[in-house]
Amino acid sequence: MRAAVPASVGLVAAADGVRIAHETFGSGGLTLVLLPSTPIVHSRQWKGQVPYLSRHWRVVTFDGRGNGRSDRPTDADAYRDARLVGDIETVMDATGTDAAVLVGLCGDGVWRAIELAAARPERVLGIVAFAPGVPLLTPPHAWKTAWSFEDELPTDEGWAKLNRHYWQRDYAGFARFFFEEITSEPHSTKQIDDAVGWALDGSVDAMLADEEASGGWDLDAVEATCRAVTCPMLLVHGSEDTCQPIGRSRRLAELTGAPLVVVDGADHMIPGRHPVLANLLIRDFIRSIGRTES
Amino acid sequence: MVRAPFDRAASAAAPPPPRHREQTRARYPDVEGFVERAGVRVFYEVYGHGEPTILLVPTWQIVHSRLWKAQIPYLARHGRVVTFDPRGNGRSDRPTSSAAYGEREMAADIIAVMDASSTERAVLVTRSMGAQRGLIVAAEHPDRVEGLVAGGPSLAIGERRAERHFPFEEVLDTDDGWAKNNVHYWRRDFDGYLQFFFSRCFTEPHSTKQIEDCVGWGHEIGVETLIVGEYAAGLTADETLALCARVRCPVLVVVGDQDAITGDGPAIALAAAVPGARLVTIAGGGHVQDARDPVLINLLIRDFVASIHPGFGRRIR
Repeated sequence: MRAAVPASVGLVAAADGVRIAHETFGSGGLTLVLLPSTPIVHSRQWKGQVPYLSRHWRVVTFDGRGNGRSDRPTDADAYRDARLVGDIETVMDATGTDAAVLVGLCGDGVWRAIELAAARPERVLGIVAFAPGVPLLTPPHAWKTAWSFEDELPTDEGWAKLNRHYWQRDYAGFARFFFEEITSEPHSTKQIDDAVGWALDGSVDAMLADEEASGGWDLDAVEATCRAVTCPMLLVHGSEDTCQPIGRSRRLAELTGAPLVVVDGADHMIPGRHPVLANLLIRDFIRSIGRTES
Repeated sequence: MVRAPFDRAASAAAPPPPRHREQTRARYPDVEGFVERAGVRVFYEVYGHGEPTILLVPTWQIVHSRLWKAQIPYLARHGRVVTFDPRGNGRSDRPTSSAAYGEREMAADIIAVMDASSTERAVLVTRSMGAQRGLIVAAEHPDRVEGLVAGGPSLAIGERRAERHFPFEEVLDTDDGWAKNNVHYWRRDFDGYLQFFFSRCFTEPHSTKQIEDCVGWGHEIGVETLIVGEYAAGLTADETLALCARVRCPVLVVVGDQDAITGDGPAIALAAAVPGARLVTIAGGGHVQDARDPVLINLLIRDFVASIHPGFGRRIR
């Protein structure tokens, strides 16, 4: 059961034939596109935002390739950056959205929003970036690289679960561990259960393909892309983020001039765990860029 | 439970300071004060103004008036809300005689708070043991009570859950489950008891915040004061049924079908014993829905009050 039901739903094929499921909510002069952190979760990650935001503006969500009601390709090529950035434009075209404010979480959401804003500035009015995971801006948290992803490991303890063989053995075990780690605020059991459920809606094969596709970035190129963003941007990062180092937000703020809001005591999943705060930050951002349609 | 009267040999204890600074509130009282009866001071709060008044009645003194934190902001937007801390907890005094915690004393506190807050009439909203004192006031002061809500009523009527029947004073050879409802265990590990009891109050998933809140309020009373209250007289089944037969105001009974404290037996018996009472059963609900399902409970209270005061809840003022 949902607090808000979509005004329209659709399925659109991307350039490589992968079909992307999208929904729109509400109406109004300004459109927000809420980007999926795919393929680990799908569009329901925004369930705490859609009912509020769609009372004021038009909201578009979509399931990223690999999860939800979108197709689930299992070849790495389907998960290259260009494909994932292309999906945003594909969905904007299919929903008659010329330009929009993009809202994203982590790397899958934020990095692709930045890439699109740099390449197609006329389509991006602004970006709200929660826990941005722009690659390479700082090293990842040490625990994320403490174990090899590819090797067979002698243990399944802790972050050793971030491992191909463990995923194939017990993907549900990984999903639960991962979301418990990155949602460390007390009283988060519902958010954790939800996220694990969305992960299990997807597939480990899509996750492995996405993992294989990631990487290959170059720091100079990443920084140049960030500097190329001209639209307004707001960065929001939890002081206790276990997934993305807050240093990545600080560096991104330097590169773009965007303000950074540090949420004291918050971990990674700010839109899910602190929905009222997230919603009001999005609202205030839209007001600050002179977009008052509602 | 009824036990022999018991007096703790100690002078009247002042309320200990809360363990933690109180959390911020969505709404703060417009009026607060103390009312004193026979040397025992009871702390009350008033939110909002006008008619009607909804009186949120204390339950077992293991918690205090913050139990209603999810009702107060909503109801006070539509009417006037009065609540108070039970003798033994919160900012009320902690009498050291078990007789001071009897149901008759609790009922007299309701009338005293109504008098002190200039509340001629009110809709009484109760939870668990609060139904006993609510019934006394509704039956014996019909001119003061416009309606009675009994959520998860704890009463001596109806089918009772069997697993709770461990002797309170004997030294037991187990601490498992309801064997924790034992004075020796309380003194040995009061936090363990509070954690256990409230985890049984909130059997719904995702209740960690509600359990943490209640455990904190439980620590504010302290184990010795809670023990004194255990020897107070509750209503017997005969007394309860006699009161039920005298109630003339509208009565709403709400119970969760997964209530692990009282079961639904007392609720069903109460609804049957009070003429015209209505019973609402919440699928999957536990014992304390005021905290765990506040929107649902608030809307049930709204609709019940509106059946007495047409238009209640329609317009925010």
